[in-house]
Amino acid sequence: MDKTDSLPPNLRLSFKKGDLIAKQGDYGISIYRIESGKVGIYIESGEKEVCLAVLGRGEIIGEMTFLNQVVEPRFASARALEETRVEVWHPDRLVREYQKMSPIIKYISDQVLRRLARMNKVIGKLDTGEKKPSPDSELSISQRLFYRKDVDISCEYRSLDTRKPVWLKGSIRNLSLNGLGLHVIARNNLNFPHDPGKVFRVRATLPNGREVEMDARIVTAKKAKMPGRLDIGLALMDITEETRKILGFFLMP
Amino acid sequence: MAIDPIVYGYVVKEEKYPDKAVIIEEGSKGEWAYVVLKGNVKVAKMAPKGIINIDTLGEGAVFGEMAMFMRGSGIRTASVVAHGPVLIGVLDSVRLFDAYASIPPQIKSLFETMIRRLGDTTNAVTWLVGESK
Repeated sequence: MDKTDSLPPNLRLSFKKGDLIAKQGDYGISIYRIESGKVGIYIESGEKEVCLAVLGRGEIIGEMTFLNQVVEPRFASARALEETRVEVWHPDRLVREYQKMSPIIKYISDQVLRRLARMNKVIGKLDTGEKKPSPDSELSISQRLFYRKDVDISCEYRSLDTRKPVWLKGSIRNLSLNGLGLHVIARNNLNFPHDPGKVFRVRATLPNGREVEMDARIVTAKKAKMPGRLDIGLALMDITEETRKILGFFLMP
Repeated sequence: MAIDPIVYGYVVKEEKYPDKAVIIEEGSKGEWAYVVLKGNVKVAKMAPKGIINIDTLGEGAVFGEMAMFMRGSGIRTASVVAHGPVLIGVLDSVRLFDAYASIPPQIKSLFETMIRRLGDTTNAVTWLVGESK
């Protein structure tokens, strides 16, 4: 019998909305898989909390700590955004499986991990305005309309950071596979904050009749030229394959 | 050449590119992964107000792995451009997939989570930089 079978079965834990599952800076080694609910991943940067991602069923928390293969403090905090159940994975079992992984995949995985750690650092700095990397203009790639389309599509959106399932109306002014620009009435702000770092769920019917629903994180929010309106720039978060396809078709020139 | 034999063993073809040549174009389709054998490449992404440089990769760096491992979407999430003349190795995708298929399921979901999160984070960085230009 394989030794792994003698390890205790995976534990299950429940969290209420607002509970911390893992805290940045802690030396936890557990890995969690979300069975139900939603979890926000935050990094503390200066005095602000920056939301990196909103994770749902089947997604993993704590993989960075494990894959680093060293005892390092957790790079981010995880907080339950609603009633959440997680399965706790036994690190010993994973370590054993990790050892069996083929060297080429390990080689690639190490590089991906390093890039991810670097990107996380950059985003923390950007959000607090610490440093703006200067963009490079020497590259000679043709700018294609494929990437970003100016549109005017009415949509509904809600905040994933609040309990209130209030859907507000707005209009999508531009759309790409990376993000979207949202134009809304400034008064909407009274329902829930429209600030950078907040995560919205946006649903709309595209002009071609296809419905899309996507989660996106606010990166910019500013007063629009029209008084009493806001222009909000959002970056798409892990969108489904289906949504990616629908957007891809719609955005094609 | 200081290329790790682990990755060099997967190179099936070598390609030379002149300075500023586009090796991968964002938004196009393609599922091959590559390794930089000599020189440097820049990773760039379209932002609302122009092109943003995300990273510079040197010898031994693998790129194109995101489209390859991202649940079969095969859409390139960034462009890769030669920074000076470069020598690129194309990796054997069949053997790579075989290696990938042999990973235990829990490790596989860790790996996929990581790649997905790299995509999300890079998107957010691109938007932040792009909007502030």
